[in-house]
Amino acid sequence: MEKLIEFRNIVKKFDGQMILKGINLDIYKNEFVTLLGPSGCGKTTLLRILGGFLDQDEGSVIFNGEEISNKPAYLRPINTVFQSYALFPHLNVYENVAFGLRIKKMPNDLIEPRVNRMLELVGLDGRQKRAITQLSGGQQQRVAIARALVNEPDVLLLDEPLSALDAKLRKEMQQELKRIQKEVGITFIFVTHDQEEALTMSDKIVVMKEGNIEQIGTPTEIYNEPINRYVARFIGESNIIDGIMKKDYLVNFDEKDFECVDYDFKPNEAVDVVIRPEDIKIVKKNQGKLNGQVISVLFKGVHYEVIVETKKGASKNITLHVLEDKDEFNIEANEKMHASEFSMDIEDVETLTDGELIARANAQAWTADEEEDISITEVIHEIKNEVGKYEVTFKTEKGSSITTHVNVVNPKAITDEEENIGIQAFDVYKTVDEIKESMAISVDLKTWADAYAWDLDDESQIEIDDVRYDFEPMEIVPGDYKVTFVTEGRTYKVHTTSNQKEGSMVAIDFGPDDIHVMRKGIE
Amino acid sequence: MKSFKRLAYPYIIWALLLIVAPMFIIVLYAFTVEGNGVITLRVTFNNFVRFFSDPIFFNVLVKSLKLAAITTIICILIGYPAAYMIAKLKGNNQTIMVLLITAPQLINMLVRTYAWRGILLNSEFPAEIKVYIGMIYNFLPFMILQIYTSLSKLDKSLITAANDLGCDNKKAFLKVTLPLSVPGIISGITLVFLPAVSSFFIPKLLGGGSFLLVGNLIENYFITTGDWNFGAAISLIMMVIILISMYFTRKLDYDKEAR
Repeated sequence: MEKLIEFRNIVKKFDGQMILKGINLDIYKNEFVTLLGPSGCGKTTLLRILGGFLDQDEGSVIFNGEEISNKPAYLRPINTVFQSYALFPHLNVYENVAFGLRIKKMPNDLIEPRVNRMLELVGLDGRQKRAITQLSGGQQQRVAIARALVNEPDVLLLDEPLSALDAKLRKEMQQELKRIQKEVGITFIFVTHDQEEALTMSDKIVVMKEGNIEQIGTPTEIYNEPINRYVARFIGESNIIDGIMKKDYLVNFDEKDFECVDYDFKPNEAVDVVIRPEDIKIVKKNQGKLNGQVISVLFKGVHYEVIVETKKGASKNITLHVLEDKDEFNIEANEKMHASEFSMDIEDVETLTDGELIARANAQAWTADEEEDISITEVIHEIKNEVGKYEVTFKTEKGSSITTHVNVVNPKAITDEEENIGIQAFDVYKTVDEIKESMAISVDLKTWADAYAWDLDDESQIEIDDVRYDFEPMEIVPGDYKVTFVTEGRTYKVHTTSNQKEGSMVAIDFGPDDIHVMRKGIE
Repeated sequence: MKSFKRLAYPYIIWALLLIVAPMFIIVLYAFTVEGNGVITLRVTFNNFVRFFSDPIFFNVLVKSLKLAAITTIICILIGYPAAYMIAKLKGNNQTIMVLLITAPQLINMLVRTYAWRGILLNSEFPAEIKVYIGMIYNFLPFMILQIYTSLSKLDKSLITAANDLGCDNKKAFLKVTLPLSVPGIISGITLVFLPAVSSFFIPKLLGGGSFLLVGNLIENYFITTGDWNFGAAISLIMMVIILISMYFTRKLDYDKEAR
């Protein structure tokens, strides 16, 4: 294949911010190339530089062996389909398509057959006289393509042209574009953030991130052999697991060694392991590579998405003490009061304030008949920096008071050395009403118990994934209940066509060539 | 919705009383001669015959149309480049420029024209030039603002697309920017030509008694001569001419959009 375009070390800055950090890229004749990346990765900037609408700060653009950086847009043999289509509203369909040819002063009798042939190619024959405003989004899109292609450019640039269309139309246009590209046989450079679009249409995908090219390859290469975690995440769904490359063809993850087809790593190099969901099979327990439990099944139309948990997360049990609602009634002052028992960390005693005590005990006072809130003016307690149970009394100005208990505890965090997780939570004291009034009991339990999980290495917070309890919040009666906070364990996403029962014990299986090992990228 | 419609009633009454009724009276006066009673109407076409048979009146009409047309053309020639340059400025500067153009408009047109009279009083300019200066000064902002509005609404990507399709900047202007700003020019023409053709105090104040236009003619017949019937006829002729010219400018605009 012949080289058509060469980007040589393209650098572009906007307001001192590097948008392109030295792009080197070759594009060949008749290729369908996709620049893929999230918004802000520089893909559109690169396209605009090639189109001649922007000047690069450094580097050169070589077109057919000729440096074209100083050539203005209107002299480049390149045409563009813009994201907004940019059709001329004062011209009809025919005149929009004929625009480029009229500028070249081509005689009318030559323009007509070319415009009509182009409209036929994009499937708009017979709509020549329509006004642009009378067309649907998909039709406008086709006019934009015809308007660009009629000039017979060497390269067609497409700047996210499908982003304004709905899903069904987008699918149609993807096929349409591919067909048109084959028919006219020129280079298409397509910019998109949609990985599926890129995989469907391209001969070559260029994955970009923050002004750099991460990987260049065919859709199959990019999908099956992503170079790092970023590309793997961006292209398709994947299970990405931390692993260690023991030696060539042997990788360790989930405390097991697996054969693989990858090599050329340092001994014991920390790596990312990718297994695509559709490459994993679900088999009977003990008959696969890893045993686990099906924790969720989602039907996705063609396949089921099954989540298999091969390792449980760390968990911590607490007791939820549910108390009778007992309000203190001071008949003389006509005031009612309420306060709940609670637990607190001994570490927090030193910085304890009255306001905090009121808040954590949920201490309240109100007038008996009109239920108007009254301030609590005095908090009496003798809490010491020692584990134990202390009395706390809350008083109002008129002398009403209520006494409750505070449990100062030295919480025992559960640490799971194997999983590298610490988790802690306090016992909770709540009244029946407080439980019943909770709008989201799981979230409230987490807050009340101050449940927290962290990574033992870097102390970063780990999400508490699940709150398990065995009571019905609306029908709760006073008593003690067990609540368990659980972090997420190791799970694998599996795409399969056979349905699985949630909760069943299974095993997952995959072959050496289903495992793809990547160097740890900087994320 | 029905209750909202009722909100239009005050305006309908207003329009009937102050627009439709006077209009009817003008038509009535134009087609009659003096001395109408409650029962007798002396219908005549003489007022119109008089206007078109005496070349003096016709010349005044032509002179008025010429003045309005030249004023409009000069306003376009000055206004378009000005509007184009404003539309090219950065956001805040655009606002400042628009404010600078609008600010003098806050002062009454009559007051500003008196000011011009003072400025031009001792100058050697012929009366006609003085009138043009006053007309252009007063009407130019309307033209600039109309064209500026249509230019600032113009989608910048259309210019990029024109460049992409082989237009250098000059061609992109002629093929895209200019045709797309035609609606702005048209409404600018409507806002300049119509008041210019019937204006009477600018020619009166700046041109002195020697410079007679249709507006002055109408004023004279109503106020000085007291011949309301003939004045009404001239008003009616003016109105028809204005309606016809409006029809043609609108049609031009419409054709552009439909194509």
